[in-house]
Amino acid sequence: MFDQDLLQNVLGGIFSAAFLASILRVTTPILLPSLGALISDRAGVINIGLEGTMLISAFTGVVFSAYAQDWWGAETGKTVGPWLGLVMGLLMGILTALLLAFFHLRLKANLILSGIAINFLGQAGTVAIMYELTGSRGDTQGFLRSLEMPFVQLPDRMNDIPVLSFFFKVLDNQSVMTWIALVMVILVWYFMYRTPTGIHLRAVGENPEAAASVGIRVQRIRYLALTISGCLAGLGGIHMSMGYLQFFQNNMTAGRGFIALATPSLGGGHPVGTGFASGIFGLFYALSIRIGTLQIPSMLTQMLPFVATVLALVIYALQGQLTTRVRQLRAAEGEGFDATFWQAIQRLSVLHMFLAVIALLGIIIAISMLAAPDGFRGSADYSEGDVRWRALAVGAVALALILINLPFMLQVERIGRKAYFSAGAAVLSLWLYLGLLFMLFLETTDLDNLSTPLGFVTGLVAGAAIWLALGGYYLVQKLRQDYRIV
Amino acid sequence: MRLSSRQRALLGFSLLMGLLVVALISYKAYDLGSDFSWETVKNTTDWQSVLLVNVLIGISVTLLILELKWDALRVLLTVVVALLFGYLMTAVFSLDAADDLIRGDFRVQVLSDAPSAVDLSYEQDVTADFDPAAGEARYHFAGSEGDEVTILAYATDAEAGLDVQVSLLDSGGEVLETANEASRRFTRQYSDYLTGETDAVIDGFALPANGTYTILVEPEAGTDPVAAELGVALFSDAAPALDLLYNGPAVGDVFNKENADNPVTEARYTFAGSEGDAITVLAYVLRSNVAADLKVALLDADGNTLVQNSDASREQVETYSAELKSTKDAIIEAFILPADGVYTVYTQPEPLTTGTRLSETFKTTNKAYDAFLLGPLSRLNRWVIWIRDALTLIMLGLAIAIVFRANQFSLGAEGQLYFGALASGVVGLTFGDLPKPILVPVALLSAATAGFLWGLLPGALKAYLGANELVSTLMLNTIAQRFYEMVLTFQLQPPDAGYTASEWIPENGLLPPIIDLNGDTVTVAVYLLIFLVLLTWVLIQRTPIGYEIRMIGANIKFADFGGVNTRRTIMLTMAISGIVAGLAGAHLAMGIHRKLILNISIGLAFEGVVVALLARNNPLVVPFTGLLYAYLRTGSQVMERDTNISAEVVRIIQAVVILLITAEALVTFFRRRRIQRRGTIELDIGDSGDNNGTTGAASGGTLEGAHV
Repeated sequence: MFDQDLLQNVLGGIFSAAFLASILRVTTPILLPSLGALISDRAGVINIGLEGTMLISAFTGVVFSAYAQDWWGAETGKTVGPWLGLVMGLLMGILTALLLAFFHLRLKANLILSGIAINFLGQAGTVAIMYELTGSRGDTQGFLRSLEMPFVQLPDRMNDIPVLSFFFKVLDNQSVMTWIALVMVILVWYFMYRTPTGIHLRAVGENPEAAASVGIRVQRIRYLALTISGCLAGLGGIHMSMGYLQFFQNNMTAGRGFIALATPSLGGGHPVGTGFASGIFGLFYALSIRIGTLQIPSMLTQMLPFVATVLALVIYALQGQLTTRVRQLRAAEGEGFDATFWQAIQRLSVLHMFLAVIALLGIIIAISMLAAPDGFRGSADYSEGDVRWRALAVGAVALALILINLPFMLQVERIGRKAYFSAGAAVLSLWLYLGLLFMLFLETTDLDNLSTPLGFVTGLVAGAAIWLALGGYYLVQKLRQDYRIV
Repeated sequence: MRLSSRQRALLGFSLLMGLLVVALISYKAYDLGSDFSWETVKNTTDWQSVLLVNVLIGISVTLLILELKWDALRVLLTVVVALLFGYLMTAVFSLDAADDLIRGDFRVQVLSDAPSAVDLSYEQDVTADFDPAAGEARYHFAGSEGDEVTILAYATDAEAGLDVQVSLLDSGGEVLETANEASRRFTRQYSDYLTGETDAVIDGFALPANGTYTILVEPEAGTDPVAAELGVALFSDAAPALDLLYNGPAVGDVFNKENADNPVTEARYTFAGSEGDAITVLAYVLRSNVAADLKVALLDADGNTLVQNSDASREQVETYSAELKSTKDAIIEAFILPADGVYTVYTQPEPLTTGTRLSETFKTTNKAYDAFLLGPLSRLNRWVIWIRDALTLIMLGLAIAIVFRANQFSLGAEGQLYFGALASGVVGLTFGDLPKPILVPVALLSAATAGFLWGLLPGALKAYLGANELVSTLMLNTIAQRFYEMVLTFQLQPPDAGYTASEWIPENGLLPPIIDLNGDTVTVAVYLLIFLVLLTWVLIQRTPIGYEIRMIGANIKFADFGGVNTRRTIMLTMAISGIVAGLAGAHLAMGIHRKLILNISIGLAFEGVVVALLARNNPLVVPFTGLLYAYLRTGSQVMERDTNISAEVVRIIQAVVILLITAEALVTFFRRRRIQRRGTIELDIGDSGDNNGTTGAASGGTLEGAHV
């Protein structure tokens, strides 16, 4: 279907320290606003205006870093500029958040709608002022000599130590903002779980009336939460324009502020979890950049982070429903509730969800292949008809995978009763995914002739192993005892 | 039906306002001016349809007043306040407007009937017939101390037999240097000028002082003066001592060039003059679109100002119409020079005072706002664009109003619009040979279906999985947009097209126009829209599902306990909203662009949010707010074209409108402030603490206290 060499290059690129480093780089502008979303969410005042706040800070940073060179001369300006940009960007981020807070908390404006208004303000205001300053609508490149935040160089000695050298490659030459983001995860955790204000903040989010009744000043906490979220979003925006890129671009955040709204729920409402959830989105961003070298339509790769967000929302919601259902079962069965058994089933159920959701990607790819056959033809001499039947095949396989995994997603109890069918579905699906992956890997060695069957066998074995490890083993045991099957 | 006197008054007032609006807009749209002739109206293209649309606009005003009553005032006030904010912002952006008065290309010229005090400058040559009777020819030039000059004197025709000798004289008449030969080296070096050894060259002579010098050319001693054409050339690497010659070419520069490192703020040009010369000095802008206001002064050799002028009179502008562009240019006319010598023309833009700066700022802002607020009515084709955009915005407003009514903050209209446009476009392009009465409904139906399905998806995610509809719809919007781009690029774009767009949709697949103004059309979408508005109103107010939608919007828990299948209703609400948004997309493809283009909508759906919010999510008010908003949009485009203010101003106004219209406590906030200032009542404005962010201002009628 694709150009083989290219695909190998891509895969080779994915499993490398450089790729991890690029994940870190693209995660930063998602992680920072995600932490902001987390804090505002836990205080019960989710900040929808993160996107606009990021844009405003990004633009402010660029403008001030550029003008610093005029004010203090090129030499001093180059050292002072980025930090002045940072401070002013943060200040604007805080002011924007305070505007939102004032309108929501004081003037009782609807939080979501005023958040949307903040986004409008950020998108339009930055472009309007950029147009005034530079006469350009697109970006400030070539008009404003903006600076970037310094990059942190690790000591070269680390490169010689065997294990550390890998981390050296990942962490070396990262923007100082990336480090700030990592530190922020810890700071936010400390603030939320180890300081009185943080505990008050969570209390306000859980139940504002109860919090007010014990003397917590709800409004004040919410002002604080929105301010912090604006501050963090501002940091993210500054990284966008003064680290990730070195100029401001019209609507350069491209939905990251909205993706950040989804990450806290995926991360279980915990700073560290949010960090990992942001990392997943970072992975998808990095992946979409990496597979951009393949000859598939660029729009498809650009879609990837957004599809991932929707799928993540689905998985998160399904998981939540599952937990509720298991809790109901526990309540119904009381003493006789077999917790280990249900945990195993829960894990397997999540596995089925993932499998079905990945299969959804297959359907999207199939539709895309039908929509853009030219883009998929690659360097090989496939005719349009070839692409079409391949698309139909991919779609059919994906649909079949969804269908065989669907029953186990929707009805948890079934996994228990139909353990073997579940095993079959999981192993079959995993075999397909892993088999494809192994096939590609083995292709890189000299085992050309062996690769296809070996890949499939490895996939089958690995699929079965994963299924058993996640709880299948326990399930089979249990069924043998209880129902005397097998 | 009996109406109370209050209701009668309201009805009468609203009808009156409606009529007034119809009259005003018709007056402008038909461009009646001072003569109210029926002929002008009849000569307008499709005048009946224009009238129909104007009447519909009037009806929308009537509906606004009838539906919102006093609240209509708050809607208008909000818009006015936002516009004022926009005005201030535009003024801030125009603070540098006065800079145009000191910026631009200018030229300076000196005119005189008197013979020039100098007739040569560096790197210049003159030829003239040699008069044997006079026996000599004199040329004058100005030089500075240390300038190394090379002087060539030659007969242009070698056969003429004129053997010349050249001398350099200083201003006192002393001979500084004489030459009568041109060596081989020179004849080769200056082969363009010199013809043989009979010519003469003074090479590399360093001038001893500043001043004017004379070049004297005579026949070489002992040869006969012959009538021939004589040429004299003067070369030097040094900068010319003089910039201007009488009636010579104009010289100039650019004042305060934008982004220049060292902007030119003033300029000096020298020329040589003789006592008694009557001269005219002109300083003028190069092109008439340069707004710079110039002033000019004549300085003598010591730098004393002899005469100056800042503005030309109207007559002078007419006299020197080739040079002077307006009275802002400067002129010194018929000035008699007091002595021989080098003079300086000094010119600079007239210095700006704070008053000028302010008045220019407000002049520019007023001009911008004039274009902004009156632009859409200034020409009929702009009126058409206004109506056309309004149709799309009203549809989107309706779509958003439906979901907001159920308190679902779905912003998916953008994605649904993309799919609607794609579906209708593909149907139109593929089945172009089907007859119009079949093709158009099929295309519209497919757009509605596409919108329905793309709305169903986030609806199902929200209803059955509890996924946040705001996040999911925003993500789905991007996905829809990318998918649209992909299909457009790889499937619909003709292979030889230079830019990404489909082919024109065949005639049969387009909405038939009712007003056609050289390609700018208002289509039958007007009728479709009337139908949609009524349908949405009936759906929300008169059907069971509408009742459920309103119940969910008011209190979802109550609705759930009351037996409403909230999940199904939420899903359906979002899907129905998708239908309307899909139709808006179809209108874009089949009515406005007539083909599928990249970026067919840039955040249009978000403007639908403002339309719906302004209308309090009331489908009968949406037409008015849609028209209002589209009016501002069209106006902003006119403003951007006519002035230098970017159209983003209107999006900032949009943000202000949302903030103000949703700020429920705005009125009480100001009242409290007033009471506090008076100090009559002590009010406790402590924390309420029960403020749960997601309760909706978006549901209609939660804005009590708006008109107190």
